[in-house]
Amino acid sequence: MWMKDEDKLVEEVLRGQHASFELLLQPYQQGFLNMAYRITGDREEAREVCQDAFLKMFKYLKSFKKGRSFKTWSYKILVNTSYDFLKHKKKYMRVIDSQKSASVYELPQVEQRIWRKQMREKIQGVLDILSPKEKAVFLLRDSEGLSVREASLVLGCSQMSIRTHLSRARQKIKNHFAKNHLKETGEEST
Amino acid sequence: MKCRKVQRLLPLLAGAELPESKIPSVRSHMEECSRCRKDYEKYAILVSQTRAWFAENRTEWQEQEWQRIVRTAIEQGAEKKTAMVPWPFPKVWAYVLMAGVMLLITVLIIRPPFVEQTGLVPRYADVAQMGKPGGMEEMGRQEVVSMTMVSRETGLKIVWVFNKNFNLEENE
Repeated sequence: MWMKDEDKLVEEVLRGQHASFELLLQPYQQGFLNMAYRITGDREEAREVCQDAFLKMFKYLKSFKKGRSFKTWSYKILVNTSYDFLKHKKKYMRVIDSQKSASVYELPQVEQRIWRKQMREKIQGVLDILSPKEKAVFLLRDSEGLSVREASLVLGCSQMSIRTHLSRARQKIKNHFAKNHLKETGEEST
Repeated sequence: MKCRKVQRLLPLLAGAELPESKIPSVRSHMEECSRCRKDYEKYAILVSQTRAWFAENRTEWQEQEWQRIVRTAIEQGAEKKTAMVPWPFPKVWAYVLMAGVMLLITVLIIRPPFVEQTGLVPRYADVAQMGKPGGMEEMGRQEVVSMTMVSRETGLKIVWVFNKNFNLEENE
């Protein structure tokens, strides 16, 4: 499908052709919703966040600089809106109790299947053990497929910082699974 | 490279975010260290599984819902059109600047009584004098102007006296 250049669409919206705004958002339609959903953990709240974010995008489209990536600009607004929403609801008062790293042990071929199963079942829950920044980096990279450079533009930090947060996020998740795996295998053996 | 440093880089290697310059040293370490190799394996599974999970568990918009939300955003965000010309300066400093300019215009044109007036316009004291006996009348009746020239060398003094039409009345 022929896609108009983002800059042209932005110009059209600013000239008053509001229908172009929908075309501008369309490529990231699902991405926005999923990102908001992963951060908030609730589908309805995700929709609310998206509406807020779209309103901000429309209002501040004047400040969008030509030649820049609309994708990173819009994701930045979406991520900030999501965290503002969470701050407002004071959802981040939960106690994180799974910070201790578990010991790493041998991974026989047979257990790979258990690991895969565990991960698929618990990924959404595991996101809560990450700090807001780690979660944002992890989601932008692994859920939305943004590059390290794009993620750095979205979150307004260096690529080094993105790598550090990403590494920490994966270490935390791995340790969390290792701990749970230990628990489950312990329970099975008793 | 030591295990401690490699452990920080393994999650990035598994997710293909590690800079190319660091890959050979991490890989050479992994060839010698079985613990790091196993950890790498775990990270590789973690990355592939989480990405697959995210891809499979995506929330979808209902087409109507999507359009409703975008339209609502446009309606709420669109500026209401009025017959008046929109204010061209959105910044606060512009308002301060405009207030300053207005004050300056007020001082220069309207000249409120609290501003001390100087120059060609009579001073406040002079204006006050006008109301007193002989004040206004004196100024109104002034019909003769004199001009005096004194020579420095000879001490000669010439006085011209003009009437209100600037015609020479008298020459001393």
